[in-house]
Amino acid sequence: MTALLLGALGLTLSLAVPGVLAGARWPDRAPVAAVLLWQALTLTSVLCALGVVLAAPEEMTRAAGADHPWTVVALVLSLAVAATIVIRLLISLIKVSARARARRERHRMLADLLDRAERHRELGGGEVRVLDGALPLAYCVPGREPRVVLSDAVLRILDREQVDAVLEHERAHLRHKHELVMESFTAFYQAVPRPLRSRAPLDAVHLLLEMVSDDAARRRAGPAPLRAALARLSDAVPLAEEAPADPAGESRRRRLDRLAGPAPNSTGLSVLAGVAAVGLLVLPTVILVVPWLDQALDAWPFRSL
Amino acid sequence: MALGDLEREVMTQLWDASEPLTVRQVHELLGRERDLAYTTVMTVLDRLAKKKLVVQQRADRAYRYAPAQSRAEMTAALMFDALSATPDQDAALAYFLGQLPPGAIRAALDATPKET
Repeated sequence: MTALLLGALGLTLSLAVPGVLAGARWPDRAPVAAVLLWQALTLTSVLCALGVVLAAPEEMTRAAGADHPWTVVALVLSLAVAATIVIRLLISLIKVSARARARRERHRMLADLLDRAERHRELGGGEVRVLDGALPLAYCVPGREPRVVLSDAVLRILDREQVDAVLEHERAHLRHKHELVMESFTAFYQAVPRPLRSRAPLDAVHLLLEMVSDDAARRRAGPAPLRAALARLSDAVPLAEEAPADPAGESRRRRLDRLAGPAPNSTGLSVLAGVAAVGLLVLPTVILVVPWLDQALDAWPFRSL
Repeated sequence: MALGDLEREVMTQLWDASEPLTVRQVHELLGRERDLAYTTVMTVLDRLAKKKLVVQQRADRAYRYAPAQSRAEMTAALMFDALSATPDQDAALAYFLGQLPPGAIRAALDATPKET
């Protein structure tokens, strides 16, 4: 029974819920809590998978009659499968972060060499690098020596206030270590067998982290320069908008909408989503513990007293 | 002066030069503005060669150094790397603008006029 419950929960959480959550618009008003919810969702589905693997063989052999020699075999097998799942996840995490670190390292070195130092003296901040090029581009390279990279086009298209807003946005990514969040989701994505994996959590969390950084930049630089910067830079890259069914165009619209009015974040929604995240994490444990507690209470020796 | 700054200035000299330069030529070009040891320039060029950013050519008993790629080529390659970094691979970089769809990256880079 425990295994069935855990299995049903795991399947719901990994197949049905991500689609619903990715399609929802309320996370735009509680991006931090929504990221937590995605994390809880992913972690809980892993816990459910482990729970099923560990509980199912034991329950089935118990139903077939205890003391059967197959009980031991089933137990060993289930432990092996559970260990495989955990090891696969860990290896994926190590591989993803090693690859990201190597790429950042090389990227930072090249950005340092190609930097047009004379063009950003007045911008301040020792981590800013400016590249030649008419394609507007702004991103950050996380790491122990982080960099914020702008293309020359950004400096020409945006005024000083807007550039500062962009820099604040990138610094928020760096300060909050968003790369670690993304790495964990990427690692999970790659550890899931190909036919079962879904990009929905990756893309949703990516957009939510952009919104979190937008909020940080908005607090420091104000919403107007940030919104203008986002709009101007998207206009300058028309090719992205022309691509059919382009999700980036949609996500830009959502970010622009958030910056249009007063601060959109809702404390109530954040609390709700946070409670949901904690609840999700606790659920598999409850499912596992309750039957055990039931049995334990039955066996409680002082009950008859 | 930090080593990174020096590497950048050496690369800039090599990019701006019309032909491969010897260590002495690089030293003279850089040394005009400041006091810099010849051996320091040699070390920097050696490091850049090890990173495969400059190529070493032997001519007339002296090594000459040339950039492996032009500044424009290297910049385009770096931007291509930045734009093609997607979260399903390694989530290496974080953006202000979302990534371009894969097909549009080359087109966008080619469409932008080269500044050099």
